[in-house]
Amino acid sequence: MATIIIDGQNYELPEGAKFNAIQAARHFGIEIPYYCWHPALSVVANCRMCEIEVGTQDATGEIKMLPRLTPGCQTPVRDGTVLVTDSSKVLEHRKNIMELLLINHPLDCPVCDQAGECGLQDYSYSHGRAEHRFVEERNVKPKKDVSDLIVLNTDRCIMCTRCVRFTREITGTAELQIMRRGDHGEIAIFPDQPLDNPLAGNVVDLCPVGALLDKDFLHNQRVWFLSKHDTVCTGCSTGCNISSEENAGKVWRHKPRHNPYVNDYWICDEGRYGYKAANAPDLLAGNFILDAGDHHGVATDRFFKRLNEDLTHRILDKQAVLAIFSPFLSVEEAYAAATWVKHLTNRSTLAMGPVPVVGQDQTFAPDKMTGRSGDTSFLMPRPFTISAEKVPNKAGVSLVLNQLQGSEPLNFDDALKQAESTPIVIVFGGSPNSDWITVDQAALLRKAERVILFDSTINALADTADYVAAIASFAEKAGSYVNRDHRLQHFEAALPTREGVWTLLDILAILSGNGRAPIQSRSILAEAAAKIPALSKAKDGAVPEFGVNLTGKDAPIPDAGFKDDWTLANLAQI
Amino acid sequence: MRSDDPSLKRLKPPKLTLFEQTYLPQILGGLVVTGRHIVNAAVGTGSLTMEYPEVQHQPSANYRGVHRLNKDEQGRVKCVACMLCATACPVHCIDIVGATAPESWTDREKYCQSFVIDELRCIYCGMCEEACPVDAIELTSFYDLTGLSREEMIFDKTKLLSVYDLTKKAEPMKSGIVAPDTDRTNELYTTPTTGPVIERQKLV
Repeated sequence: MATIIIDGQNYELPEGAKFNAIQAARHFGIEIPYYCWHPALSVVANCRMCEIEVGTQDATGEIKMLPRLTPGCQTPVRDGTVLVTDSSKVLEHRKNIMELLLINHPLDCPVCDQAGECGLQDYSYSHGRAEHRFVEERNVKPKKDVSDLIVLNTDRCIMCTRCVRFTREITGTAELQIMRRGDHGEIAIFPDQPLDNPLAGNVVDLCPVGALLDKDFLHNQRVWFLSKHDTVCTGCSTGCNISSEENAGKVWRHKPRHNPYVNDYWICDEGRYGYKAANAPDLLAGNFILDAGDHHGVATDRFFKRLNEDLTHRILDKQAVLAIFSPFLSVEEAYAAATWVKHLTNRSTLAMGPVPVVGQDQTFAPDKMTGRSGDTSFLMPRPFTISAEKVPNKAGVSLVLNQLQGSEPLNFDDALKQAESTPIVIVFGGSPNSDWITVDQAALLRKAERVILFDSTINALADTADYVAAIASFAEKAGSYVNRDHRLQHFEAALPTREGVWTLLDILAILSGNGRAPIQSRSILAEAAAKIPALSKAKDGAVPEFGVNLTGKDAPIPDAGFKDDWTLANLAQI
Repeated sequence: MRSDDPSLKRLKPPKLTLFEQTYLPQILGGLVVTGRHIVNAAVGTGSLTMEYPEVQHQPSANYRGVHRLNKDEQGRVKCVACMLCATACPVHCIDIVGATAPESWTDREKYCQSFVIDELRCIYCGMCEEACPVDAIELTSFYDLTGLSREEMIFDKTKLLSVYDLTKKAEPMKSGIVAPDTDRTNELYTTPTTGPVIERQKLV
C-alpha cells in the first residue's frame, strides 16, 4: 500500500491509482489550483499555477525536499511522495502567478459571458492579490471568429493551450494552434479552416477563462441566473451526461457532465444545440378530440373521461389494440404505458416506433501518443462515439416491451401494415422532432378505426388522430434511459411541464386508476425492476451517479469522478 | 455567524444609578424636546409641515426616487447589460435583455436591448445604483410618482431614458458629463417630453 504525505499528514493511495499530485490531493480533499492541466489531455505545465513543494521520504524516514517549486500536474505520486501545498512559499508563488496571468487581461468581467464561472475570477479571489503592479501599456490582442459557432477573444486568453491540445489529441483535427511567441503569442486558426469538427463546442467548456465563447449563448444570460439540471442527452443512443441549464422557463444551453463510462468530459455539437427543441414555440399545448373532421380542444378531465368511455366500450367488444412506443420514451413511461395497454385487453400487440439512423457511428478514439507532445504518463484515453441511431432509449423500450409481450416487439414498418386490420391504434410519442412520422405513415395508421396519440409536438399524426393528448416534452420529464451499451442512466426534468400539460406517467396513472398524480418516476422504475429481470440492477429505482451497466460489470476506473474545475457543469456540485 | 463564535465580542450594558432607575431624567428630557417643537410651531419659525402641493418638497441630495438610465456623450444608453443591478435587486424588479452591440460601437460589445423596471415592485433601496459598474442606472429625486394603471408604472427603456433627459441638468451624473445646473425646478417641471414618459406640469 502506497503512503503519501500531504501537508504533514499521511494518506493511503487507493489500489491501482495512477495519480499526479493534483489528482491525489483532490482525492483527499486538498485543493491544488490549476489552469492548463486537464485529466484527459497531455501535461504541458505552462500555467505554473499548480506549483507546490515536492519531496520524498526514504526508507529511513528522512524527508528530502526538492529545492524549488515543482508543477503538481507533472509530479507523479508514489510511495513516500511528500507534497506541501500550503507553505508561505507556495502561497506567495500563487499570488505572483495570478498577477502575471492578469497582466494583459482586460477588466471587462461585467460584459464577459464567462463571469461567474471563470477560472481567473475564482482564483483571483482565493489565491490572487488585490493590487496590480504592472504600469506599462497593456498588450491588446484582437477578437476573432474561429467558426460560425465560436468566438475567440484573444485579449482574455491566458495561453493555457487546452483548446489546442483538445483539437490535436481528442478530435485529431488540429484546427487550432499558437501563432507567434512569448508576449505576442495567440491562439489562431489557419485562414479559411474554421474550427468546425463535430466536437468543436467542447473548447468553450475547456477554456478556463472567457476567451472561447459560444456565439449561440453570447450575451443572452448571466450564468448565475441559470439553474442546472443533471440530465441525459436525447440526441443519439450514446446517452451523454449533460447539464441542462434553464432560467425563466427556457433552456439556454447544454453543458457536458463527466461520466468516464459514457462521454468522459465531452459532448458533440449536435447534442449541445439540441436544447432548442425544448423551447420550440409550437409544442402541443392541450388535449384535442377529432369531431366532425375538426380537432376541438377539450379540458383534461373531460378528455380522459371520454377517452376511457370510448376505449372501455370498444374493449368490451373485444377489439384488438396495436400500441406503438416511441424510442424517445423513458423506461418508466414505456413500462407504465405497456402495462396499461396489457391491462386494457389481452388482444394487444406492442410495437416499436421509428428508429431514425443517420449515417454511421463516428468514433473519436484518442490514443496515448498520437497528436500528443507533452507528458502523457497520467493519461487514460477514453473514446467518444456519436451514434448513428438518433434515439436515446431504443434498448430500454425494447427490453420493457420484450418482457411484457413475451416476444420481440413489432418493428414500425410491420406495425404500419398491421394498423389496417386493427381497430384501435395507440401511439406513445415523445420525439422532440415533429417530423418523426411522415404524412404517408400517418395515413397508414389512420386506417384503423380509432387512433389515439400521446405526443409533445404537432406532427402529421396529430393532424389526423381521433384523440390527441399533449405530454411533457423531453426536457419536462424525469426518468431513465438505457443507452446502446445497456447502461441505465437517470435524468432529471429541466423545465416544469407546459401549462395544462401533464407528464405521460401522470396521465397513465389517471387512465389506469393506479395511483394518483404526480407520479415519481423512481417508484415506477422500482416496480419495473421488481418485474423485469433485465432491470433488476435498478432495485428500488436507485440509479448510481454514473448509471448502472445492465448486462455486465463495469471495469473500475481509478480516476473516475475527477471533476475538472473548468468543465463547468460540474462546478455546481463542488 | 453562530452565537457561540469565539470572535464575537460581548458587551455588558452600563449599570444605571438609583436616580436613573426611576427613569425621571429621560422622561423630562423627552418632554423638553416636545415642548420645544410646540413653541417653535406656535411661533411659526419651525413648522414641520408644508402647504403641499402649492409648496413643493425639495428632497435631500441623496434621496432615492425614480430610476433613470444615463446616456453617454454620444447619446447612447450607457448600460452594458451586465445585469448586476438585476442580480443585486432584492425584489427582482429589473428585467434586462442583453444583445451584442452594433459593430460601430467600438468601445463595448454588449448593450441592453430592453430594460424594464417595475416601479411598483421596487423598494427604492438603491442597490442597483451601487452595483452598476458603468454608472448607467441612478436614482433621481422624483418622489411623487403616480399612474392610473399598473402597466403604466412598468418603465421601459424609453421611459427610463426620458427620465434622464428630464433630470440631467438638475442632477448631474455621478461620473459627471453634463454641466451642473442649479435651477432645478425649471428643468424638472416644465421640460416637454414625448411619448409615454412622465409628464408633469408645475402645480401652482
